[in-house]
Amino acid sequence: MNNTFNIQRFGLLLKRQWLEFGKIYLISLLVALGVIVAFYGFALWKAFTYADSFSPRDLNFREPLFLIFGFIFISIIASSYFAHLGQKPKAIIDLLIPASTFEKFLTGVFFTSILSIVSFLFLFYITDLAFVSKLRGMYTSVEQITPYVHNGKEITSIDHIAYFFSKYSGRDKFLPLYFFPFFVTSVFLLGSIFFNKFHYIKTAICVMIFSGIWTAIVVKSGEWLFEGKIMIDQENRNMNHMSQNTGEWLGVLLIVTLTAIFWSITYVRLKEKEV
Amino acid sequence: MIKINNLNFGYSKHQLLFKNLSMQLSNGHIYGLLGKNGAGKSTLLKNLAGLVYAESGSMDVLGYNPAKRQPALLEQICFIPEEFYLPSVKIDAYVKANAVFYPNFDHPYFTSLLAEFDIPVGQKLINMSYGQKKKVIIAFGLATNAKLIIMDEPTNGLDIPSKAQFRKIMASALTEDRCIIISTHQVRDLDNLIDTVIMLDENSVALKASVEEITDKLVFKRVKEIDETVIYSEPSLAGFNAVMPNFHKEDSKLDLELLFNAVLAEKNKLKPIFN
Repeated sequence: MNNTFNIQRFGLLLKRQWLEFGKIYLISLLVALGVIVAFYGFALWKAFTYADSFSPRDLNFREPLFLIFGFIFISIIASSYFAHLGQKPKAIIDLLIPASTFEKFLTGVFFTSILSIVSFLFLFYITDLAFVSKLRGMYTSVEQITPYVHNGKEITSIDHIAYFFSKYSGRDKFLPLYFFPFFVTSVFLLGSIFFNKFHYIKTAICVMIFSGIWTAIVVKSGEWLFEGKIMIDQENRNMNHMSQNTGEWLGVLLIVTLTAIFWSITYVRLKEKEV
Repeated sequence: MIKINNLNFGYSKHQLLFKNLSMQLSNGHIYGLLGKNGAGKSTLLKNLAGLVYAESGSMDVLGYNPAKRQPALLEQICFIPEEFYLPSVKIDAYVKANAVFYPNFDHPYFTSLLAEFDIPVGQKLINMSYGQKKKVIIAFGLATNAKLIIMDEPTNGLDIPSKAQFRKIMASALTEDRCIIISTHQVRDLDNLIDTVIMLDENSVALKASVEEITDKLVFKRVKEIDETVIYSEPSLAGFNAVMPNFHKEDSKLDLELLFNAVLAEKNKLKPIFN
């Protein structure tokens, strides 16, 4: 018997965890859907009710909603996953389930980092699709403009009522942003096993403290290195020597490394968890 | 089946609960683990199940180190904790999700145990009384056919008829390849059930002896007057309940409560008898 990983046992564990976690998770999804629909409804009810009252600015709420609410949603899900291990009766049952620590950890990663992110994207996508389709049916969305070239492509029109995800397709993407949700869930998953109570608040406080220290170090070291100095290589002031792509990949590498570190610590904490 | 060598364990590094504790437990026995509050009964059980980690010493449970929490060992351990949690599902769903982890799970036996305990099958676990939940978890544990059954205060919350049923079921659950360890304060609940007594006191094992050995070496009887042969006595209505050395190979019934108090009060007098 493989005592580290067995795909069949892992599947059974996913099923078992769904029994424990699924109901709360589905309720959370419903709440999240309610919040997203409420924002769309509140921002667009005027456009739906009164003719010609739509302004493209009415859709500007989507970016902050996606980023802020997305962060809150995935971090809360991650922060609650191992939280029950802080309670003796629940911890005993869970730790003694005949599955390896690695399988238990992977199940946690699946529910918090994959399922929660995918389901949030799906909820946001279908809500946006429904509301924006309705808007597009009511108003003219495409405006012809004087053609100009952007990133080698000729732009001839602007879609004022674009779907949220198609709005950004074809544009330059900031690659680290794609990995950031995994980083967020890894931090809050660690918080859920590290603390015994008030996991979310305590993790959020720790994140704030560490972010503050990190920012202070960067600012202070920048001041110390560059204060009173001037750039002499004016031609490279935009850091053209390091392409944007390389910078982004370095950002990706940093985020992936940090995520892997946080997941590793979570695994060790789960292994060392005592009742 | 279980070998404990020089186990040192404490919840704080400065105050050890077990100092160089060593013992061996074999299959085919029902061990009764007794001790005062805080003597470490539950902690010893948790050490055996790998729920806590010792400072030093070694443990071998069915050939595995319990601290590693390997699935091969976990599927052979049935741990019935004093405080437990059951999810808000029906018994069927609970069994479907959890029984698959135990290769020897016996479904017909589980059903017969539920019937014997008079448990309503269609009810949700969360809506059951504490006693009913306890019976479900005991039935599930026994149906796993695990080789090591660990029970911490299993009769707490059971009504009087259920305690009798429990004794009957446990007696029939003992097989040659099984080891059952029951920790309890309710010594009367273990009457006629256990075959070996383990008493913990002052960081170590104060007594470990089979019922046969105890009644062979000690006699428990009611006397009118106390003489110098009496090791320990307690006043009763018609004289004294006394523990004495069994010089004349008399037959007597083990009085666990009296023995427990005798071990705590007269450890020095009893030690030479059992060494």
